[in-house]
Amino acid sequence: MTSPVGAIDGPPAKPALTSRWDSPALRRFRRHRLAVFGAVTILVLTLACIVGPFLLPFTDTFIDIRQRFAPPLSGAHVLGTDQLGRDMLARLLMAGRISLAVGFAAMAISMVIGVCVGLVAGYYGGAIGAVLMRFVDAMLCFPSIFLLLAVSAFIHPGVETIILLIAFTAWMEVARIVEAQIKALRERDFAVAAEALGASDARVMIRELLPNAIAPIVVAATLNVAHAILAESYISFLGYGIQPPTPSWGNMLDNAQGYLTSAPWLAMLPGAMITLAVTSFNFIGDGLRDALDPRTDAR
Amino acid sequence: MGSFLARRVGQAGVLLLIVSIIGFSILHLAPGGPLSQFAATGDMTQEDLDRVARQMGLDRPLPVQYAEWLWRLLQGDWGVSYRDKQPVLRVIGSHLGATLELMLSSTLLAMMIGCWIGVLGAIRRYSVFDTLATVGAMIALSIPTFWFGLVVIYVFSVGLGWLPAGNRYTIGDGSWSDRLHHLIGPCIVLALVSTAVWSRYMRSSMLDVINHDYIRTARSKGIPERRILFQHAVRNALLPMITIAGLHLPTLLSGALVTETVFTWPGMGRLFLDSIGYRDYPTVMGILMFTAMLVLLGSLLADLLYGVADPRIRTA
Amino acid sequence: MSELDRNAKRSRLSAPSLRRREFIVLGAGALLGARSAEAETPPPPSGRRGQVIVGLSQEPTVFNPLMPGIEVDESVWMNVFNALWNPDPEGNLIPELAAEVPTVENGGISDGGLAWKVRLREGVVWHDGEPFTAEDVKFSLELINSPGFRARTRQGHSLVRDIVVKGPHEISWRMEKAYSPYLALLANTFIVPKHILGKASDPNTAAFNNAPVGTGPFRWSERVAGDHISFVANERYFLPGPYLEKAVFKYIPDLTALYAQFRTGQVDLTIGQGIPANFYEEAVKLPGRKVVANPSGNLEIIMPNLELPALSEKAVRQALYHAINKQAIIDVIYYGLHRPTESFAPKESWAYNPNLPPHSYDIAKANKLLDDAGWKRGARGIRQKNGVPLEFALSTTTGTAIREQCQQLLMQDWQQIGASMKINNMPAAVIWGEFYVRSKFQALLVGTAFRTVTDPDPATRFSSESIPVKGGSGGNYMQYVNPEVDRLLAAGQTSFDRQERTKIYHRLQEIVRDELPILPIFQYAPVEGYKEGLVGFRPNINARQNTWNMSKWYWAR
Repeated sequence: MTSPVGAIDGPPAKPALTSRWDSPALRRFRRHRLAVFGAVTILVLTLACIVGPFLLPFTDTFIDIRQRFAPPLSGAHVLGTDQLGRDMLARLLMAGRISLAVGFAAMAISMVIGVCVGLVAGYYGGAIGAVLMRFVDAMLCFPSIFLLLAVSAFIHPGVETIILLIAFTAWMEVARIVEAQIKALRERDFAVAAEALGASDARVMIRELLPNAIAPIVVAATLNVAHAILAESYISFLGYGIQPPTPSWGNMLDNAQGYLTSAPWLAMLPGAMITLAVTSFNFIGDGLRDALDPRTDAR
Repeated sequence: MGSFLARRVGQAGVLLLIVSIIGFSILHLAPGGPLSQFAATGDMTQEDLDRVARQMGLDRPLPVQYAEWLWRLLQGDWGVSYRDKQPVLRVIGSHLGATLELMLSSTLLAMMIGCWIGVLGAIRRYSVFDTLATVGAMIALSIPTFWFGLVVIYVFSVGLGWLPAGNRYTIGDGSWSDRLHHLIGPCIVLALVSTAVWSRYMRSSMLDVINHDYIRTARSKGIPERRILFQHAVRNALLPMITIAGLHLPTLLSGALVTETVFTWPGMGRLFLDSIGYRDYPTVMGILMFTAMLVLLGSLLADLLYGVADPRIRTA
Repeated sequence: MSELDRNAKRSRLSAPSLRRREFIVLGAGALLGARSAEAETPPPPSGRRGQVIVGLSQEPTVFNPLMPGIEVDESVWMNVFNALWNPDPEGNLIPELAAEVPTVENGGISDGGLAWKVRLREGVVWHDGEPFTAEDVKFSLELINSPGFRARTRQGHSLVRDIVVKGPHEISWRMEKAYSPYLALLANTFIVPKHILGKASDPNTAAFNNAPVGTGPFRWSERVAGDHISFVANERYFLPGPYLEKAVFKYIPDLTALYAQFRTGQVDLTIGQGIPANFYEEAVKLPGRKVVANPSGNLEIIMPNLELPALSEKAVRQALYHAINKQAIIDVIYYGLHRPTESFAPKESWAYNPNLPPHSYDIAKANKLLDDAGWKRGARGIRQKNGVPLEFALSTTTGTAIREQCQQLLMQDWQQIGASMKINNMPAAVIWGEFYVRSKFQALLVGTAFRTVTDPDPATRFSSESIPVKGGSGGNYMQYVNPEVDRLLAAGQTSFDRQERTKIYHRLQEIVRDELPILPIFQYAPVEGYKEGLVGFRPNINARQNTWNMSKWYWAR
């Protein structure tokens, strides 16, 4: 749940990234070996989760009572079976689809909300900005899991609601970052010039200011995916997660608790998948932060 | 200084008002209510349920209920817990000690280890140690806390029998050594994430300081490297950590909630979970307000302490 | 109905909450036989010695026994307070504060059930030394009916008129109508002290509610909220015992953690929801622990909403019932612990009808039933009739992992007969709110009981006057309407003759088995465990919690 998003100090304004493949940022990212490792892992995981289920002889929901608790590598089931005799590999991959989808979707929504609030608050400032940012501050007064729980105890749990729930509790940091960036940027010459040329507010915000604030936004987005995947597992652990028969890494881990000693792979595998995916996103985020921050070269 | 404080307190008041409105709306607009659980027991007929709801005033319009709650709060009355039938403040008070014990001990542990890792990582930047520390911190931040807690219980309690499987102390014992023994497991689990956070912040803070002019000057003067690092650099690098400590509070509370659940630790986290499940409106609101106050106080103290520690800030 | 896990998390691994309700008869006979070691056990100590730590997965928080509480609260009430009488495992009412249980034969109940007279035990004192008298009983009954008091239930009590104290130890009243289940309801009505609560300005918030004073075998000692409650022996208890010096109820909110602490010996007993089924095999092998599956009066059932077009037809419910693989559910998911049942009454009840047609898992028969009733297979293999697809959602509390497995098995079975079931689980506080009491569900998977405390009367669950959404009062949330059932229920309530009532309830069970307003799956037998050396632990299907006879427990030396 801890993503040190707040630690990002924004880079000074610079033109939007244009020449993509030979940009210094990309070179720096490629030098960041852990980040490359993370990116490759996520790519492989995503591909496996998309393609994998089509290649397997079992579906994730096929129940075969006679085959329950088959250990990994013991027969037809490569990663064994669960408490209902369902194929673990098929479930892990299908669960990956859900968990990654939750991660990306929750990130996307939280970014949209956060960026919009941050843009408006930073650009207009004054009363509007104050009201918006006080609301952000108030939301940040709730420890995130308190907020998650308070809301999740009341909603009807499903994939969509879990996504909204996580997004709803994860946009505030983004709003703060964007607001700070925009506030600083809007005094710059290019913004003032654009305004003087009669560009509309929306145009200045989206075409001029936003591209210059993109670096910390991208970093925050990556870390938010990690946050969302973890958050999903926490909600599941506390009993309010995604409902069966849909598997997610979180609910697989949750359901495995009773079998920790008798069938440890039920818990080990989804636990490892969560850790792997979240670590990878954190690596990417870390790499991006270094890559997009020009000061890294100076040091 | 005085006006700064007054302004901050005023801001905090506004924030708390918003917090209370958000919290109250979320709680009361949700379906279900504090009587659902009695419906489930089948002992109480619908007539009984409607009667008790009326007796408890749950049938009144929400704005009226909110206004009454707020008015009482302003007079210092936090209400009476539905679940515990005791004043909310007393209920919170009876759970606070356990949480503080856990949070303080794990923070202390995390600070010591985390700062040490951060300093070493910064001094030997890009060394094997630094890389391992970075990777380790990333993984620590990525492991679901509850999962780590369960593994600790199963390895060290059920498997090896070294640690108790939960609880704050053995009933009937409660000596210092007994309490300490019970504290080890949850403390380590909760400290894991904090250690990672602290080591990352400490590392970057230390890097900032090392690159400062005065350190370079000191070096050029030929002061021994060890003395430079530990007398000047570390001291200055620790300064921003005060802020981090204040801002880290909400995260720590979140972690405590999960850890308390896994280790059956009778603290605020558990109280919150129970109260949410019960729809104990006064207690949930009380905890939300209380934690919001803690968080605000944390950031205020962080700012004040930082000001005291670094006189340059005051002018800003 | 014990389904409510105040917090879903708590019951994550549970065989859903198991509530031990009163009921009559036999009971744990077999189990007691199995543990007939009673004869060899050492005699109780002469003094009071030692303590016991009872692990509970829910926290008792309500200590005024007349206010709304859940079953775990009763484990406190039954040790701090006494009712007039209390059911034993065989279902006999044993007098406690009463000198004898009133019956038609002994003249305690007369005038066709309208006049009641109870003689009270003499020499009973409250924990603070005040004598217990008929005034306390009168006060308790009147408090329940007083307008401002948040009484748990007025069921039965609202019929009481003209309470007269005839002497310090004799009390009588009249009933507005004959109502035989009131005997059982009184067994669950704990008597509170007039000299304390009567003086409170508001009994809802009296200090007494957090420091109860009763007549029971244990005195309230201390409570550490969120952690434990401790009790000390009542030296002046009027019945034999208690033999323990001290008792502690330890709250461990997670069943897995509770089991872990039972395993490591930090708690001496784990009762109530007890040990999750998946740990049963491991638990029976634990050295120094006794682990027993104790039948409870609770049933696991599917509760269809009979107003839902797809489920309103009897043939559909019968087909669904035939397509349930009960044996797989019980053997695979519940490790063979529970017993399949056809009735809404527990097997141990005197009203239980053993001659109901047995269930058979028969997909072909289920398909034929639906074919004959005109349900044709349509798109995606789902049956339809008159434009109504055979689709519904089955709901239960979120976070109950074992039930979720059961749902997934049902889903696969029902698919084979062209019925499409979706899982629609919700947090406890949501599902048991309006969704349940206003009959907004399509079908529920719940653990519940169909009777009135220890009495077999299920009127609040099956009578057409008990449908809240149709203006009634009661718990007929499936909205079952059957005039013959209504007639039988009314007749059962007014009769005090057990033979006559048995006949009535046997007929009622036949009708319910045929029409299936509920689809019974099994009767619960939760796994409870205790340390070897603890003598006197005796499961009681008629008590809500097996702390009912804690006054008789002691440690073998």
